[in-house]
Amino acid sequence: MEEVLGAQPDEPFDINEELDKLPVEIRLRAIDRLKVARLRHRKGLFTKILLIIALLGPGILVMVADNDAGGVITYAQTGSIFGLGFFIPLMVLMVPTAYLVQSMTVRLAAVTRRGHAEMIWKRYGAFWGAFSLGDLVIANSLTLVTEFIGITFGMSIFGVGPYRAVFIGIAFISTVMLTLRYHKWERASLLIAFFNMIFIPLVFFAHPDWSLVAKSFLTWHINGGISTLFIYVLLANIGTTIAPWMLFFQQSSEVDKGTVPEDIGAGKRDTFVGAVIMATVAICIIVLTGTLVFSTGHVGSTTSTTSYDIAFILSTISKKIGTVPVELFALGLIDAGIIAAIALTASTSWAVGEAFNWPKSINLPFLEGRKFYIPGIISMFVAAGIVLLPNVPLGFLNITVQVIASIFMPAALLFLLLLVNDKEVMGKRVNTKWENAAIITIMVVLVTMSSLYGLSLVFPHMF
Amino acid sequence: MASDENDFGFIKNKKDWDNFLKKEKLKDYSKIPVKRAHVNGWVKFAFVFLRIYIVIMLALIVLGFLNII
Repeated sequence: MEEVLGAQPDEPFDINEELDKLPVEIRLRAIDRLKVARLRHRKGLFTKILLIIALLGPGILVMVADNDAGGVITYAQTGSIFGLGFFIPLMVLMVPTAYLVQSMTVRLAAVTRRGHAEMIWKRYGAFWGAFSLGDLVIANSLTLVTEFIGITFGMSIFGVGPYRAVFIGIAFISTVMLTLRYHKWERASLLIAFFNMIFIPLVFFAHPDWSLVAKSFLTWHINGGISTLFIYVLLANIGTTIAPWMLFFQQSSEVDKGTVPEDIGAGKRDTFVGAVIMATVAICIIVLTGTLVFSTGHVGSTTSTTSYDIAFILSTISKKIGTVPVELFALGLIDAGIIAAIALTASTSWAVGEAFNWPKSINLPFLEGRKFYIPGIISMFVAAGIVLLPNVPLGFLNITVQVIASIFMPAALLFLLLLVNDKEVMGKRVNTKWENAAIITIMVVLVTMSSLYGLSLVFPHMF
Repeated sequence: MASDENDFGFIKNKKDWDNFLKKEKLKDYSKIPVKRAHVNGWVKFAFVFLRIYIVIMLALIVLGFLNII
């Protein structure tokens, strides 16, 4: 019956006519997916490599964007204060942790074809939807402030003033978001993310003692022992590695990319590669400053990370190995700020669009999708404006970001757990018992850590 | 015209195209409603715990910020 009613194989068929019938954002996604399907139909090693590359994207982007300007500074301070020891194997441990949490968003996106904010809002109601959206938008906007701090500081190394630095940052990030549609936006962002790996060759300038690095995996040695400062730095590192916005960003990005259940394996690989890059970059920064700056400090005599601000760290590096590594570090810091700002801006736009059922795709041209783009762009302008305000309490803002994230973290993880176990939504693709055991363990550790971290920021003497 | 690279030879007819759209889930999901979840059992307990956690954290953080300021 279907054959009688359906089109005959020899009936004239024009794929472009069919594409033109689709709404613009779905049409562009369909073209991207047609290219992926074409690669799947072809044979040969080169085609397979192209297919693997085509399916990379959100996983690498979310992980690299997590090594943002604030993250880079945290890792640099960690190495400076604690040297080569405990924090190096800890970063390796963060690979499976970040991978397990983030890979669940791939599955959610592939099965539901909806973003995290939309699923929370529609499955669990307006209260939790508004709570999640409010937290996310505030945290994203304030985190953007820290990204612009990183960008302006990095550019100051090259003699660029703050106003010009902020203008360059805004112009670059807006151009990427407003002029590129999803596929090109993703490729451009991946290219920017690639430069985040500048920290990997940088470590070789320091000529670190690799035997000490290897030994740290055996001993997990804590220079100076467990102290208040150690707990604070530990919490900061964990808070830096896994943040609530990452869940929202990756799920929305996978939806916009067009990820379907067939791509779940590729999406997981993408996430794993991203997690490995994230940890490698973090370890390289810790090893760099652990080799060059740690020896100049005395861990026992410092009680806060403020003794090791980024200006002190860079001047120490400059004294020891010259200005070129410092300039490379500054480039890395600028890049970290830009890639994170691109991700945070998109994350805000996607989440607002999902919550209010507005158009929500980077495939939309600006005029057609202005409702989608405006929240992200506004948050960027507000953040950039705050950085330029005289006497703005940047330290206070940074604390607020971390505190909001610590309140938001349990809710974000709980909704992730609920959604990936929701049979009505996920069908047979719900979590296995092992996956649930792993995510619940991670949840307990992260919730405890992020709560303690949030509280330690406002009660500095609690430990 | 939507694509310059129209050599998608594996889509020969309307039926292939419809199958492709279905397999790739290429439709407007904003027009498809999502059913509200039934919150009961341990999920209800988790939500109560979450509300208590948020209230306690907010109270402690407000106190902390008052100390800082």
